[in-house]
Amino acid sequence: MLEKEIIDKIEKKFEVEGSVQRERRIIVKIAPDKLVELCKFIKDLGFEHLSSLSVTDWPKRGIYEHTYHAWSYKDKMLITIKTEINRDKPEIDSVYPVWGESAQIHEREMHELFGVEYKGNPDLSPLFLEEWHEKPPFRKDFDWREYVRKNFYDKENERERVYFEGV
Amino acid sequence: MAVQLIWIGDKMKMEVIPKIIRNMFLKHITTRFPHESNPIPDGYRGEHSFNIDKCRSCGLCSMICPNRAIEMVEVPAEYKDKYPKKYPKIDMGKCCFCGLCQDICPSGAIKLTKNFFLSTFDSSDVIKDPVPTKEKNS
Amino acid sequence: MELEAIGKNEYELFFGPAHPGSGNFSVKLKIDGERVVSARADPGYLHRGFEKLMEYRIPIQNAVLSDRICVLEPLAWNLIHAEAVEELMDIEVPERAKYIRVIMAELSRIQSHLIWYGVLSIGTGFQTGFKLAFGYRDFILDLFELITGGRVYPTGYICPGGVRRDLPESAKERIPKVLDKIEKMIDFVRAENPANIARLRDIGVLKLEDAIRLGATGPVIRASGLKTDVRKDEPYEVYDRFDFEIPVRKKGDAYARFQICLEEMEQSVKIIQQALKGLPDGDFIDKRFSKLKLNMRIPEGEVYVRNEVARGEAGVYMVSDGGTKPYRVKIRGPSFLHLIPVLEFLLRGAQIADVPAIYWSLNGCPADMDR
Repeated sequence: MLEKEIIDKIEKKFEVEGSVQRERRIIVKIAPDKLVELCKFIKDLGFEHLSSLSVTDWPKRGIYEHTYHAWSYKDKMLITIKTEINRDKPEIDSVYPVWGESAQIHEREMHELFGVEYKGNPDLSPLFLEEWHEKPPFRKDFDWREYVRKNFYDKENERERVYFEGV
Repeated sequence: MAVQLIWIGDKMKMEVIPKIIRNMFLKHITTRFPHESNPIPDGYRGEHSFNIDKCRSCGLCSMICPNRAIEMVEVPAEYKDKYPKKYPKIDMGKCCFCGLCQDICPSGAIKLTKNFFLSTFDSSDVIKDPVPTKEKNS
Repeated sequence: MELEAIGKNEYELFFGPAHPGSGNFSVKLKIDGERVVSARADPGYLHRGFEKLMEYRIPIQNAVLSDRICVLEPLAWNLIHAEAVEELMDIEVPERAKYIRVIMAELSRIQSHLIWYGVLSIGTGFQTGFKLAFGYRDFILDLFELITGGRVYPTGYICPGGVRRDLPESAKERIPKVLDKIEKMIDFVRAENPANIARLRDIGVLKLEDAIRLGATGPVIRASGLKTDVRKDEPYEVYDRFDFEIPVRKKGDAYARFQICLEEMEQSVKIIQQALKGLPDGDFIDKRFSKLKLNMRIPEGEVYVRNEVARGEAGVYMVSDGGTKPYRVKIRGPSFLHLIPVLEFLLRGAQIADVPAIYWSLNGCPADMDR
């Protein structure tokens, strides 16, 4: 099968854990210091469209898990690359040299919402939020209900009581 | 120059003027709203209607509403001996008219009607309390 | 729009957020005489935080929330959210529900392309096109009111497991009449207007290597020469049983995107006619979901689903850890890539009178960019 051949080609050069989830979906796990070399290798294999990248926060295991999804127009296959970095001091190399501006704009959004530092990204200025001085808002330990209650709850208004005093 | 003017004159006569005359008698597709209106189909999601005699006070409508627009409260003191439990109070300013409360109610007490004339100048019209009506057939 | 003097001959112009036809999105332009020197996009006026809101609600409440991700095509985003939950819970959708979902998604695509045609016409000065497009779009909104109960927002009509209500009998006679009217309108509009074409030809040219590097998808990359469509590359629902074509052009300018808009509407009409002929009988929702329950668990796992919405390629990445609510949802909107990198690249060196034509020919939706 085509999925097995692609995993074999990657396992010959790098130390990874590969698996096939279903038709047209491959998952590969790797350590964060070899990430940019692996991305250059699969871009030469034909995966030239970066569909999305995302960060998941696991506070019990103490990590941020990064996921990169890339699609190949030639073979019609999607590969998912996963790495893990430390949650209290999150730093990783940027993939801007490999995939260009489509990677740079996704990393700018993740820097603002989760607080990850990307080394090598030319522009990390804020995108959606203005003058934000608290923790990055999408972490699991940011209590957004307390933030709204402190800044915006109007105790005189009877209709807002349902949201803050429970049902 | 004279040839071009004759060509434009012919084009106007043979193509454009008949079209103008035909379009004057076609039916237009605009509906003049308050004087005429389109018929509203069944299954339209408008204002809520609540029948207090069918309600079992299970509280499922309040648990499934995505915007917390339904709150279970007690009725005023004069009806308390006939209706001792808690009943839903609907805040139409928060409602998004999704119809999940109608789908989950096990006895069919909450239903959505076809009324959509809901604008008002008085903000206390927006909250509907569960008060039983005086007439039997309403 | 505000003006501010910088340096020798340059000034800065805000193509601002309260602009008719662009929604809530602004671009800051630095202009020297009549040419744009550089452009900087300023997003964030419509950021509502969907990815965090969906972590606190069960899947049927998320289906009601998912049709506000993009205001101009709610049914297509209902469909992609339902597909993500079904793949995690391993549910088999009945055949009749799949055909109804395809009919609703293609009607939503025609209605969104009519808005694109109308706004592009009025931006370049052709007011008759705007009036025709919004007039004929109303026939489709009346169909939505008959089938789902609401004209613009069908709150969660396509839910995980199938559809919430069955197709009424009168809908099967009304849909072919509406499609006839739309076909006549497309034939009428195709007769070419020289003033409109002169404002769109050779404007905003995007070559193929730049398009792949900047992340463009959908009609924008098909106008630059690559023949790709998610409905043919990885077919979802029952798209592999229908016979339709994908329009492609090579030039990459605004006129090529305009021609693709009209041809895609014709192909959607063909798909709906084939689906109505082959509609089977049966259930319209899976048995486990026909009565609403409050405590259904989602098994552990993760999934990434791709669909073709009217603006490009949409993606939903969902992770679950075994509870009743999803653990992390990431939404990839096509306009996020079209309105920030592609627009800043195309506006460099353009004339100031061409800025509306370039911006509206990319078909960006600000709600889908900010989520």
